[in-house]
Amino acid sequence: MTVRASLNAALFVVAMGGTAQAQSQITMWSNWPDEPAKKDWVSARVKEFEEVNKQCSVKLSFIPKADIYTQAKSAVRTGQAPDIFYMEPDQPEFLAGGFLEPLDGYIDLKGLEDWAKPAWTSKGKVYGVPVEAYTVELYYNKELVKKVGVEVPASAQLTQAQFADLVKKGVAAGITPVSQGVGDRPFPGGFLLYESLLRRLGAEDYGKLMAGELSYKDPRIVEVMSWVKELVDAGAYPKSFATLKLGESHYYFYQKPGALTFPDPSWFTGRAFAPPESGGMPTDFPLGIMQFPAMDKGTCPSCKTLAVAGSYVLYSRSKNKDCAGALLKSMATVENGTKWMEQVSLQTGLKSDPNKINSPREAYFKELNARNTGVKYFFGTPLFHYRAKCAETYTQVMNNAFPAGLISVSDAAEKMDAACLKK
Amino acid sequence: MTVQMTSAEAPAARASGAPLASGFSDPRRTSVPVLLVFLLPALLVYAGLTAYPAFRTIYDSFFTIEGLERIPVGLSNYAALLQDETFWVAVRNTFIWSFVAPCLDVATGLLLALALYAGVPFARFLRIAWFTPVLLSYVVVAILWMWIYNYDWGVVNVALRAVGLDGWTRSWLGDPNFALASVIVTHAWKWAGFNMVVCLAAIHSLPSEVLEAAELDNCGWGAKLRHIIVPMLKPTLLNLYVLAFIGKMKVFDLVWIMTGGGPLWATETVSTYVYKRAFNWNTFDLGYPSAIATVWFGVVCAAVILLNKAFKSKDRLEY
Repeated sequence: MTVRASLNAALFVVAMGGTAQAQSQITMWSNWPDEPAKKDWVSARVKEFEEVNKQCSVKLSFIPKADIYTQAKSAVRTGQAPDIFYMEPDQPEFLAGGFLEPLDGYIDLKGLEDWAKPAWTSKGKVYGVPVEAYTVELYYNKELVKKVGVEVPASAQLTQAQFADLVKKGVAAGITPVSQGVGDRPFPGGFLLYESLLRRLGAEDYGKLMAGELSYKDPRIVEVMSWVKELVDAGAYPKSFATLKLGESHYYFYQKPGALTFPDPSWFTGRAFAPPESGGMPTDFPLGIMQFPAMDKGTCPSCKTLAVAGSYVLYSRSKNKDCAGALLKSMATVENGTKWMEQVSLQTGLKSDPNKINSPREAYFKELNARNTGVKYFFGTPLFHYRAKCAETYTQVMNNAFPAGLISVSDAAEKMDAACLKK
Repeated sequence: MTVQMTSAEAPAARASGAPLASGFSDPRRTSVPVLLVFLLPALLVYAGLTAYPAFRTIYDSFFTIEGLERIPVGLSNYAALLQDETFWVAVRNTFIWSFVAPCLDVATGLLLALALYAGVPFARFLRIAWFTPVLLSYVVVAILWMWIYNYDWGVVNVALRAVGLDGWTRSWLGDPNFALASVIVTHAWKWAGFNMVVCLAAIHSLPSEVLEAAELDNCGWGAKLRHIIVPMLKPTLLNLYVLAFIGKMKVFDLVWIMTGGGPLWATETVSTYVYKRAFNWNTFDLGYPSAIATVWFGVVCAAVILLNKAFKSKDRLEY
């Protein structure tokens, strides 16, 4: 190499160094490494952002949720957390600790659904972009339910007695009535009980229960728990309930051995709409969505849980807030909300335009919309409201031991009151 | 090579008026800079990665740490610990692990070693096969045994059904009465090979003249085992027991993956509880988990000292 060529090469390196300095790189940790539709949506938004904002580059990593939480808890304290990271509203300690940056000055709040904002609002400021939202639904296998001799009415809601009958008929036919497992999650075991409690108590009293202001020994609660205990004792759940993982409970429902119903949040689609060869739901599966049963003397049969889940937050000690804020702004738009609905087949806290949704899952969306028409929403699952010891007791008792038939109604109520009831 | 003075030579040297070699004036000692070159790296690693975290944990246990704020709380974390039911359940479970499981580990290892010593067929293959679990990570072992314990298609329940014992089938990890035992068995399976190798080496190093003398005296296999082999292996077995005990007082990985401490805290250990309190408790407070860790550090130290005293023998325990 000649001296001139060497000089040119050196100048080129210096020039490139200057360009690289002008470009800010931000880091972003996202959940959903194993959910292709959501991963694709996030990757596409980041790519679009980088194309328009040449001065910003994004180092995007997909990491399982639990690992994000554990790593972020250490990293935020030492100033080493990523600029943007995945968070759900049930982790309020990040907000309370002052580690999240208010987004009001960065994003257009008009791009967020009004019902989703409160999940991330504190002292009048919004701290998260609520990408993923869901309702708690009761999926069922139309053919199997019909086969055991139960007709789902036009209202798509069975009564308490009819649902108990469905469970008994399923057991008699050798079909598991409710596919559910708590092997790797702290919450699924509570769906049937807590949705039933919501319908029995109504949103106001259910809110008191979630706030620790209502005892589990309240006669209405004991009635509902006793009814669920009867179902459990009748064999409602799989024998492998305690160790069955969430992914396995999907497979259990729509592949082998098959079950009548599957209580699951509407993010059901993330796994179910994956290709069947990857463990997804067979294309001809007779999927239906019914309402959770209406409780006898229920105050609010049309109540339903709505929640915000996967969101993105901005680290308060980020050194690249401009780029990070601009990325979040570019994500929080109606167009992107519409794309989320189309691609992920799941609700979103971003505003969307239903008229522009063009999804191959149109029939599914119609049924989901029908089940969510005229309902009264209660915001947040138990783990959104419960904290610390109360949350741990919920996980051990109401999520696991009670639906597994390991504990009586009175013992479960006693333990929950001891951990959650405000004295 | 250093030349060491024998105990007999030392008084003689003193009597002859030779100056007492002490400190760095001892010509046999190397210079301070050279000493530092060798010592500093290890000391720095020890200070940074062991001593500082340990002292910091003890220090943190006197604070409540919320976000970036540290509030001194004196001994209140320790007072709260006394009232914490889950902590005591975790202590009970950890003690069961630590005192019972090592017996299982050591007994299994000894049996396997004796089988190999007795010359079972395919001994060479079996030695490798029995040792292999030691090489597997806890994650692999946990997943493997979660399959083995699976209610529907796990080999345990399938075998029970095959021999007509349907009534004995259960959700091994989901039943509070069996979950802890199930995880202990898994742990014993993983470590049996290690104990086997140590026992086998110890058996092979037993003085052959004693064993031969026993054979000449028409001592049967059982009597030889009971009166000669096991008593002579006692120091090794005790070492293994104490090693296993220390390991089990800190057990975390297997429990976390297989049961997460459930069902109903039946498999909760002190380590899993510390982790939950530190990272799964909707708080940044490391004060309370530090208090648990500090108490447990003391308990482990005390237990090891007690065990050493209880098993006191002429042979020094090494671990």
